[in-house]
Amino acid sequence: MKIRSDILRTYQSIHTWTGITTGLLLFIAFFAGALTMFKSPITQWAVPENHVLPAISPGQYDALVQQATAQFETASNGFTLHFAPHQSLMHHSPMTWYEQGGGRGLSIDNHLRQASFNEEGELVSVANQQNVLGDLIDQLHRTAGIPGKADHEDIGVLVLGVASALYFIALVSGVIFLLPTLVKSFFSLRQKKGANRFWLDTHNLIGITSLPFHLLIAWTVVVFAFHDMLYGGLSLIYGDEPMFERNGGSKQVYSVAELPPVERYFEAVRDMADGYDIVSLSFADLTTPRARLSIEVAGDGKLQRTAETDIIAMHPFTLDVTYSTLSIPENGAFGPLVKSFFALHFGNFANDTGRWIYFLLGMMGAILFYTGNLLWLEKRRQKQAKQSSSVTIMAKLTIGVCLGSVLGVATSILASKWLYLVGVDINPGYINVYYGVFIVSLGFAFWQGAAKSAIALQALIAATCLGVPLTTLIMWWTESEIQWQIASSTLMVDVFALIFAWVFYSLMKKTYHRAYYGGRESIWYVGQRDDAHQAASGHSEWVNK
Amino acid sequence: MARLSAEEKIQPHWWTKSLAGAVLGLTFAFAVVGIFAWYGPGGIQAPNKVQFNMWMISPVWLLILSFSFLFRTGMRAVLVLSAANLIAWATFLLLRYSL
Repeated sequence: MKIRSDILRTYQSIHTWTGITTGLLLFIAFFAGALTMFKSPITQWAVPENHVLPAISPGQYDALVQQATAQFETASNGFTLHFAPHQSLMHHSPMTWYEQGGGRGLSIDNHLRQASFNEEGELVSVANQQNVLGDLIDQLHRTAGIPGKADHEDIGVLVLGVASALYFIALVSGVIFLLPTLVKSFFSLRQKKGANRFWLDTHNLIGITSLPFHLLIAWTVVVFAFHDMLYGGLSLIYGDEPMFERNGGSKQVYSVAELPPVERYFEAVRDMADGYDIVSLSFADLTTPRARLSIEVAGDGKLQRTAETDIIAMHPFTLDVTYSTLSIPENGAFGPLVKSFFALHFGNFANDTGRWIYFLLGMMGAILFYTGNLLWLEKRRQKQAKQSSSVTIMAKLTIGVCLGSVLGVATSILASKWLYLVGVDINPGYINVYYGVFIVSLGFAFWQGAAKSAIALQALIAATCLGVPLTTLIMWWTESEIQWQIASSTLMVDVFALIFAWVFYSLMKKTYHRAYYGGRESIWYVGQRDDAHQAASGHSEWVNK
Repeated sequence: MARLSAEEKIQPHWWTKSLAGAVLGLTFAFAVVGIFAWYGPGGIQAPNKVQFNMWMISPVWLLILSFSFLFRTGMRAVLVLSAANLIAWATFLLLRYSL
């Protein structure tokens, strides 16, 4: 396809600028986002076995509610019931409530009380700090680790919203200036033509093959970040027309003893939504006129509104439905349409197959941004040993930020079980470990330079990832006071840590070769080693042309 | 393709084009979505349509912003997008207050 050269040049500049300003943020968001596809197994992996009480049969829930609310003042206002089979995957006991904290949003200091029956049918309960490892990874995904709040919105979310608008432009401009050569070099992955060409082919191949995914992500993130402002603008267009229905509902005050049996909720959900399982029932403000029940339902292979479920809100005593995200006639044609936008961001519509595909797309996205930065560096570097400061600073940032955040997450996961054993507050522990490792990695990259720190950080990531399954093994073998759940989903976490260890070890070896035996003009060149004769023996693919 | 003279080629004018695309593109997107909201399928009261409308603003806006750099000059971007706004908003207001 022929396109005027001035258009190509214009869009090449746009692609460069939008890409280089957002690449690092988007790398973190995509890498962490890929992990959030498995945030339940990761959290399950981290929660000590004795923090989760045994499952009970469906018929026992009514007795559990009555006994627990009678015994615990804090439960009588609101609690959540978790049902099999989702309950064990979501690492919950049959009944939970907050003794401290709770409410909307992520809190690292929620104290959760959990209740169930033991084998003798007696009420048992434990209280502990709720482990939010998966939610913290989700937070990293949504904010790129930028802390702080403006009003009620995370600053990081707003920053990523702006970055996503630029990323949308980067996608459009990337496609435009790729069009002339697209047909010729689409599926070529030229490894022998120098590292630069290899990075470029990888970057283009990933960008084009996952373009619909990327356009969708860019769009949804802009909406997630700025929906309040967009609704604000829309309110001018709506004028006096109300934008949202208000459902009044009953204002009568009931007592917990008047709650209908749990079976009634199951019947109500069966009537509304065929093919859905109840994941949980969350009761709130039960003793006030604002009594609410929020039901999480999971559908096999259905487009769902939240990351893993759909929601039905009803009055807990009258069972009047006030709101639902189901694709039912009441929600019209637009409800399901809007829901599909959410579902396509969350990747929740094809069970585990879908999650794996989204995991891969997310990781490929991270590679897209990483290679984008490498290409920028290769293009700007001088054909000489001494480089301009913009190139060296960007190289250090790329290594420090990208590898630093990967190492931070890996270290937090590795530290998890040891933090429990030492008795550290678990959630603040995760946060301190992540930011500590991230900042030290960044500092290390600036101190030692991009080439050396890339080798060291990749080696550390490999070692840390290897430590994750080793920890599981050690804890399983030794008689420590805390034991952890071992299930196929938690073993998956260990297996994947092992795969990551191997990947980063291989990358580290390649980086090492390039640093010591590669082209002297490369920004990744460190110096000649004494055993330099190896340089002649076939590592020429890493020599930059 | 004939060779273009320097004036015929796209001028950079980054700031004017970016601002025109960002601001006028957004106001245009609101007008288009406004017309859709009131007079598109289902009318203003269709259930959950307000959410769909909110979702549609950003893709219209971002596409206009992305292609604003195709204008030959920044001034042209401002003029064309202003005219588009004028037409879209006039249509919206006419429909809204004369029907």
